[in-house]
Amino acid sequence: MSDLDRQIEQLKKCEPLKESEVKALCLKAMEILVEESNVQRVDAPVTICGDIHGQFYDMKELFKVGGDCPKTNYLFLGDFVDRGFYSVETFLLLLALKVRYPDRITLIRGNHESRQITQVYGFYDECLRKYGSVNVWRYCTDIFDYLSLSALIENRIFSVHGGLSPPISTLDQIRTIDRKQEVPHDGAMCDLLWSDPEDIVDGWSLSPRGAGFLFGGSVVTSFNHSNNIDYICRAHQLVMEGYKWMFNNQIVTVWSAPNYCYRCGNVAAILELDGNLNKQFRVFDAAPQESRGAPAKKPAPDYFL
Amino acid sequence: MAVEIDDKDLKAAGAELFADGGNRGVRIHGWLIESRTHSILNSAAIQEWEHKLDTNHLPEMVFGENTLILKHLSSGTKIHFNAFDALCGWKQEALPPVEVPAAAKWKFRSKPSQQVILDYDYTFTTPYCGSCTVENDKDMLHSDRRYSIFVWQNAKETSEKTSNILWQDCKEQIDLVALASKEPILFYDEVVLYEDELADNGVSLLTVKVRVMPSSWFLLLRFWLRVDGVLIRLRETRMHCVFGGSTNPIILRETCWRESTFEALSAKGYPFDAATYNDPSIISQRLPIIMHRAQKLVISS
Repeated sequence: MSDLDRQIEQLKKCEPLKESEVKALCLKAMEILVEESNVQRVDAPVTICGDIHGQFYDMKELFKVGGDCPKTNYLFLGDFVDRGFYSVETFLLLLALKVRYPDRITLIRGNHESRQITQVYGFYDECLRKYGSVNVWRYCTDIFDYLSLSALIENRIFSVHGGLSPPISTLDQIRTIDRKQEVPHDGAMCDLLWSDPEDIVDGWSLSPRGAGFLFGGSVVTSFNHSNNIDYICRAHQLVMEGYKWMFNNQIVTVWSAPNYCYRCGNVAAILELDGNLNKQFRVFDAAPQESRGAPAKKPAPDYFL
Repeated sequence: MAVEIDDKDLKAAGAELFADGGNRGVRIHGWLIESRTHSILNSAAIQEWEHKLDTNHLPEMVFGENTLILKHLSSGTKIHFNAFDALCGWKQEALPPVEVPAAAKWKFRSKPSQQVILDYDYTFTTPYCGSCTVENDKDMLHSDRRYSIFVWQNAKETSEKTSNILWQDCKEQIDLVALASKEPILFYDEVVLYEDELADNGVSLLTVKVRVMPSSWFLLLRFWLRVDGVLIRLRETRMHCVFGGSTNPIILRETCWRESTFEALSAKGYPFDAATYNDPSIISQRLPIIMHRAQKLVISS
């Protein structure tokens, strides 16, 4: 058994790798990812997965439902880390699978695959806690910069973490982005990872936060038409039912973190596309309590004042 | 992690615990205290709430069926906490939106030709400090719990009035020293009412937690907001009720609002980065008080 296969087995048990192993793994992953396009080509059949957010044991449920990699070809739409308790193991397992089976798993970048966001929402602290230093966080966030920004399945389905961007009307415009950087605070790369579809507007709207675009049905229609695609598949937003179509089936949100943050009680979904791009959503629940190391469901009594 | 509640303590206090699925609680000294924890609203329920609240936006996670109820059985007085009433408060207060730091740069971005600017309060800030009703249905004296829950769920249809609920301003303060004593906790729970991640620009979280001891019950309703790099807002309501022989229990309620910008915190020498401000309990003392109010409610049977 090769070192890599052994590491995959270890990660499947939710045991993190040694720091030196992470460093070596990231170097190998970098060589593969650097060759990928900003609009990475993906062949069908493929199974599309949304946000995971460090919910390792729930991702194991996902693999139970969707089948193991490499037998199943996977596309993950980003947000592997933060929020959940096992961002390290989750991301490293996906990355190890990428290195081992580069043509059977595609990882694209979510807005949480960023230095700034991971320092606030958990991944940074988790690395520090599990390794006693931030080196592993550094190796991983350096790899984040190499992750592709989107995927195109059989030239028919466009996949991205967040959504569309006003300056982007063609896929070729995405291809020209220099992606090897921290996620910027504005511009096309930022929008692809951050923006959301919005029911109540038709065109573009600006979030009340003053930053962040929302796009309506007509934006999606014209993007899909110009690029000759059937629909857009994205993640980024929690959906109680695991997936949600909008704008007459022109865009679908797929969410793959069941019982998000260990308390929302939502189901998760993955989208399976067969060789003819026939769709099947597979909905699944969170891993049972006893099979995970998550804290007890009820908080311990505390003498709050 | 859950701490075992000692049966002897329960017996000595004349308290009785119950649990049924996501509902759990305690009966003690003529009070029925119950928490219910369930999933977030599904898409159909979200639409219904949006319609009822006349809004197009709700927090990302609305725990619409979660509730904490404290009911004084003989008077029918019911203190309760739920997301819907809290969101009614948000709608009414309707604060202007808070711009995130990136907004400054965005002002210079070239705009799409047709662009709508949304301007609702995405922080879901609410002045909510609990709901209070009296259920006059005499059958409520019925001690069967299943029956009372049924009546609660249909409270809106049964006789419910708020007219004889009168919170009066008062000088008394909640006795925090007594509450700091390590009296056994007979019942404890924390119930999330709603939460929003502000699209990864911070957190907005409304929760209520309760603890019931042999001598009193105490609760803390907390609205916690952090807009990263911009603003921290903490609105807390505490209620305390000491069990006594009297048939007219008194509930003390203190509401305290604290708020500060990141800029002001940093000017005082505190760190600027958002990660420092994860736990409201730890940092609340750093935030200046902008509103404080003490009130009491005398429950008359």
